[in-house]
Amino acid sequence: MNGRKIILPGEKIADARVQVPGAFNDSQATYASVVGMLDEEGRFIPMEKKYRPIVDDVVIGMVTDARHAGYDVELNLPNVGFIPARDIRLKLELGDFVVCKVREVTETGDMDLADVRRLPRGQMVVFPPAKVPRLIGKKLSMINLIKENVGDILVGNNGYVWISEKADIPLAIKVVKMIDEGAHFSGLTDRVAAFFAKEKQNKVI
Amino acid sequence: MSDELKDMVMSRIKKDVMLGTLAKGTRYDGRQLDEFRPISVQKGALKSADGSALACIGGTKVLASVKFDVATPFADRPTEGVLITNSELLPLASPSFEPGPPDENSVEFARIVDRAVRSAECVDLKSLFIKEGKVISLFLDLYVLDHTGNFIDAGTLAASAALSDAKFPKVEGDKIVRGEYVGPLNPRALPISTTLVKIGKTWLVDPTREEEMVQDCRITIATTESHVCAIQKGKGSLTKQELLDNIDIAFKRGSEIRAML
Amino acid sequence: MMASSTSEVRLVIDGKRMDGRGPEDLRQLRIEAGVLHEADGSAFVEWGGNKIICGVYGPRECIPRFLASPYRALVKCRYMMSPFASLEEHSRSGPSRRSTELSKVIREVFENLVIAEKFPNTQIDIYIDVLQADGGTRTASITAAAVALANAGIPMKDMVSAVAVGKADGQLLVDLGKAEDNFGQSDTPVAFASRSKDILLIQMDGMLTRDEMARVLDMAERAEGKIHAVQADSLKRHYEEAGEKKFLM
Repeated sequence: MNGRKIILPGEKIADARVQVPGAFNDSQATYASVVGMLDEEGRFIPMEKKYRPIVDDVVIGMVTDARHAGYDVELNLPNVGFIPARDIRLKLELGDFVVCKVREVTETGDMDLADVRRLPRGQMVVFPPAKVPRLIGKKLSMINLIKENVGDILVGNNGYVWISEKADIPLAIKVVKMIDEGAHFSGLTDRVAAFFAKEKQNKVI
Repeated sequence: MSDELKDMVMSRIKKDVMLGTLAKGTRYDGRQLDEFRPISVQKGALKSADGSALACIGGTKVLASVKFDVATPFADRPTEGVLITNSELLPLASPSFEPGPPDENSVEFARIVDRAVRSAECVDLKSLFIKEGKVISLFLDLYVLDHTGNFIDAGTLAASAALSDAKFPKVEGDKIVRGEYVGPLNPRALPISTTLVKIGKTWLVDPTREEEMVQDCRITIATTESHVCAIQKGKGSLTKQELLDNIDIAFKRGSEIRAML
Repeated sequence: MMASSTSEVRLVIDGKRMDGRGPEDLRQLRIEAGVLHEADGSAFVEWGGNKIICGVYGPRECIPRFLASPYRALVKCRYMMSPFASLEEHSRSGPSRRSTELSKVIREVFENLVIAEKFPNTQIDIYIDVLQADGGTRTASITAAAVALANAGIPMKDMVSAVAVGKADGQLLVDLGKAEDNFGQSDTPVAFASRSKDILLIQMDGMLTRDEMARVLDMAERAEGKIHAVQADSLKRHYEEAGEKKFLM
């Protein structure tokens, strides 16, 4: 965002009512509700955003309660997700990591989850949900680059990142942190590639 | 979702995975087992205090303040000044800290630092005597501002730095003249603590919050240049040999960190 | 505050204040956004001799549960003064009547701004700790908390900045320092929403005429344009400069 104007909550970003993330409308105009910036085409890019689940989002979570009716899943959100027991054949245990799709979101934010898959043992790290698109990259370019270099890794829209036990966990944590800190700078994929090249060189030496 | 529940489940699952990484001799942040995170100390962070310091170990930040007042001495030590150590685990420092009166972790923290400072005789309490029934009291306040693990060592470090930054107050009659000093406080020793946790069979220095979450045992050892001056075991158990080995590490790390003050 | 008697101390001489400022000049103001690792959003403000840190958490699960609203997030605020914050003696730690009142009026500023309907059954915590106090801590706290909330990504309808306008030596003065506050004849902290210019906080003590009151509000509004610029700059720098943020240094 070098040199670009910062937009603070409450600032007008359009003279018409338009629906964009991180903004709200009054009767004539659109205003930012979070910090962001305007890109070259005048589009509003939020810098910070709280994640609110949308149907069909892929989320990663952890089973925190098992009951007759189903399982509660911790999703890095104020509300828990719920997996109805009748919908799945596999038996989950407390502490299992799962990846699933959001099937339904109620008005108060509770979620029903579907397409449940249990993840093998691994490490979970938290990543800002607003920056998840950068961690995945255009056409999965970033996440594939990471997979090639560290091993199996999975990103949920809710900001939980799962790293396989078999992967290079310290390296994965390092690169995820690097992307978090530099998410709004250009040329990120190139810099991550250079980082991996350097890491490899260090290992050879 | 409550943070405790999240921590509880996280720790159970994480431990196995973390053990795998530790078995290779590295930690999640790439450190050696006996390595501290980067340390920085800034003395004189506050003008309102008679001595102050901000100590950072990695992302953990503790602010220490030294402030003098006039008090009545304890009946059994009528010629000695009073040292009072207090701590606040500020709720802004961690999602696991809650507002309210100090909990057991906060009290334990203050008491560890207090014991280290007291046993090392950093401050000659007799020098704080004014006249019969009047002594100087020294308030040592520890504020945890950001908790990414191991605030105890950051607290001891901040306390030692604040004491070495402190100036001895000017006393007129039985009142302290604010803002005027007779010279530096010159602490006689600077205790430094080293906290180690055991995960599985591995001991590691300066644990992060994640490592604290999965710890089997915790030990804090405070040292001066020549002596051990405070020990506190947290959860778990350890052998005699483990304790002695850890004391050796504490002396080594302690002298390195003390050199920064 | 000594409202009844005119002060013996001369606070304004030839239009200059004790620290050399003119009537509408602010003390030096520095804001750092995102200084803490663990908090969802944070800000550190150094304003004159004030050093204040603010951390924001949320939206997160509302505790206790029975307080949760299915319609909106609860905004909670805790303002605290450290026992070593003043040049005077060490004070008692823990909440006081003063800090309880300030926590309430600061919360009532942000209840107007936070778009709370988006996060039912949750709470948003604003924690403010005054590490060093030099007059005007409530206005500095509000200014810092607005930056911390923005840094946390909590949606808001507007930003807010705050300043106190007082009267000393018969003159209206913006951004009172500690001595001006103690010996002055009136003190009016005001918080304005940056875009709508709505008044979100106003308190007042001392004696002012209606005309003086109108001038107080005009002066506060002018000052708040300057404060808003410092807030915006702090967030801009936060997102431009990666790495550890320095504060208290």
